Amino acid sequence: MNALDVAKKDVLILLKDRGQVILLFVLPIVFVITFSAGISASVSGGQRAIDVPVVNLDTGGEASQLLIEQLNAGRGLKAVEYGEAQAGTDLQEEKIKLALYIPAGFTADVQAGQVAQLRLVRGPAASDSEMATVRLVVEGVADDLSLQTQLLAGLSQMGAMMGDAPPEAQAFTAERIQAQAESQYERAKTEPLVAVAAKWPDVMTGGREEFDPSSFSMAGFAILFAFMGAQVTAQSIYDEKKLGTFRRLQTSPLSRFDLMLGKMLPNFLIALVQVAIIFGLSMVLLPLMNLGKPSLGNDPLALVVVTVVLAVCSTGLGVFIAALARTESQVGGIATVLLWTAGVVGGAFIPAFLLGNFLNTIGKVVPHYWALQAYNDLLIRGKGLVDVLPAVGILAGFALLFLVVGLVKFRFD
Amino acid sequence: MAEPILIVEDLEKSYGDNHAVRGVSFRVARGEIFGLLGPNGAGKTTTISMLTGLFPPDSGTVTVDGLDLKTHLTAVKAKLGLVPQDLAIYPTLSARQNLTFFGKIYGLRGKQLNNRVKEVLEMIGLTDKADKAVETYSGGMKRRVNIGAGLLHKPDLLFLDEPTVGVDPQSRNAIFENVEALNREGMTVIYTTHYMEEAQRLCHRVGIIDTGKMVALDTPSALIRSLGGGIVLLGVAEEQAEALAEQVTQLPTVKAATRTDGQIKIETHRVQEALMGALDLANQLDVRLTSLEILEPNLESVFLHLTGKKLRE
Repeated sequence: MNALDVAKKDVLILLKDRGQVILLFVLPIVFVITFSAGISASVSGGQRAIDVPVVNLDTGGEASQLLIEQLNAGRGLKAVEYGEAQAGTDLQEEKIKLALYIPAGFTADVQAGQVAQLRLVRGPAASDSEMATVRLVVEGVADDLSLQTQLLAGLSQMGAMMGDAPPEAQAFTAERIQAQAESQYERAKTEPLVAVAAKWPDVMTGGREEFDPSSFSMAGFAILFAFMGAQVTAQSIYDEKKLGTFRRLQTSPLSRFDLMLGKMLPNFLIALVQVAIIFGLSMVLLPLMNLGKPSLGNDPLALVVVTVVLAVCSTGLGVFIAALARTESQVGGIATVLLWTAGVVGGAFIPAFLLGNFLNTIGKVVPHYWALQAYNDLLIRGKGLVDVLPAVGILAGFALLFLVVGLVKFRFD
Repeated sequence: MAEPILIVEDLEKSYGDNHAVRGVSFRVARGEIFGLLGPNGAGKTTTISMLTGLFPPDSGTVTVDGLDLKTHLTAVKAKLGLVPQDLAIYPTLSARQNLTFFGKIYGLRGKQLNNRVKEVLEMIGLTDKADKAVETYSGGMKRRVNIGAGLLHKPDLLFLDEPTVGVDPQSRNAIFENVEALNREGMTVIYTTHYMEEAQRLCHRVGIIDTGKMVALDTPSALIRSLGGGIVLLGVAEEQAEALAEQVTQLPTVKAATRTDGQIKIETHRVQEALMGALDLANQLDVRLTSLEILEPNLESVFLHLTGKKLRE
């Protein structure tokens, strides 16, 4: 079949072009890793903890040490101990933005059930949001500490009162009650009865139960770069016209159908190989780099169907661009505008729900969006072929539109 | 004429207001080297493009080996080979990869394909460098690959469209020898050029095309004979040209004398006598001559005679 000969020749030419090989097969993996790392960091709150200067005037106090430990236990703040004079100077010189003062006698006051006043001093450089953040955390830790201390003190008192009761009435000693309470309290830290899970607000995710950065990046960049193949096809057709080989081939027994099929086949095959490589390497590399473990979902057949339709759509887009562009710069210009813009508004770079309502709505007019919907349904939400058929149908519609318009408008001369 | 392999009748092609080909008709015998001679823009490449099925004529018919091009397009294309005017090969592929690809497009496969690629590489003298990328070749070597790609399938009818443009003399001679060798093996060749010496050396018959029309068609020797002696071009001041041209026309050996762009073109049966007579008249009329050119009888002067233009204008 002559179309296969044309396709093989184009693949041979492509493989000799290192720039194209890097663009199509290496760059996507770099993007997947980079964006997985970036998105993971922002989702998990993995950003650097805020340093909080702490002036501990309650030297050697148990409660003040416990407070500092608990401040450090969370991932948001890091207590850095300062001397009183140094803190005052640094605040004035704006070397530090704020400082937490633990007063002398803090431990004694807490243990005596007295009110102990922590002071959070704001320097001129501190912003409202920084103050609010630190204050929230400190208040939370202080509340916990107060509760723990008061409960333990209360239980100790109850234990002491039980000490006056007859021995047969003493089911628990004061020490046992206190030890049990402390044990429960420690357990509550690691296994809270009421847990709070960090998640994207439903209003933003449209009610999705979870968001998987590694699977998202893997699918998003597979789609973005599969569509990049369209530019390669358009450029290849343009180059062939410029070289004169397109005219030469038309004087051979090769039919126009075979010629166009031969020009489109590499795009289709490359898109399939790209997705396979991106998915395969992501499954291996991302877990090794501690960037999450992407999922391939539960329906391999559906994954193949979505990928094949995606490849057809990319191929159609290649012909469409080749039909529209009359010069080399137009090939590059149209491809850049179409492919990168569509990639962004379609959510291949950034999750569509983060783009806001306007861009999220516009995204629906590009094929990237529907391909991503289908992949996300399969990979992240564990759905099956039937569930993704509407998105696949719309993607196929785009493919048909590109192919029909592209082939009708295509100029063979 | 021997059995024609190509019959062209009343070919017409227009692009908007540009009437590129106007009723061109000719026949080419099997085994002939037929030249299409004309200046750039005369309509040669448009004619070749229609004959090779690249696009259809507005009207007229083309018959190749008894098959109508319009109704048997694929079958006819399989019999044709085209070496386009501009290089039409893949620069990042090697000569071998280029030839193999074009061989496959014409249906060659396996051992037959490999043997044919080897033969063509030998013919174009690139066996030693067959596996290097074409983009590393010299201009002449690229031309030879361009020609080789049209020969893989041993076409019955080979179109060579200005194959020597931009080629060094050594490669040009190699191309001539290849064309002659192919013709000796029985291949019919249609050779377009605006170099009259090429047409004169290679072609059994020549069709002269100008502004889309076939203005003459015969063997080179018959065309030259039809001109007779030759042409003398005298450069004169514009204001004196008309008076001198009128007098020169009266000379007995002069067939015609016409003014063209500061020159008087003198067509004559006997060059020497006409030249002496014209110089005498210039002296008598006190006409200052700015240039003198004598065109020996050849296809160039035939073209000038027929069209009033030089081939390379």
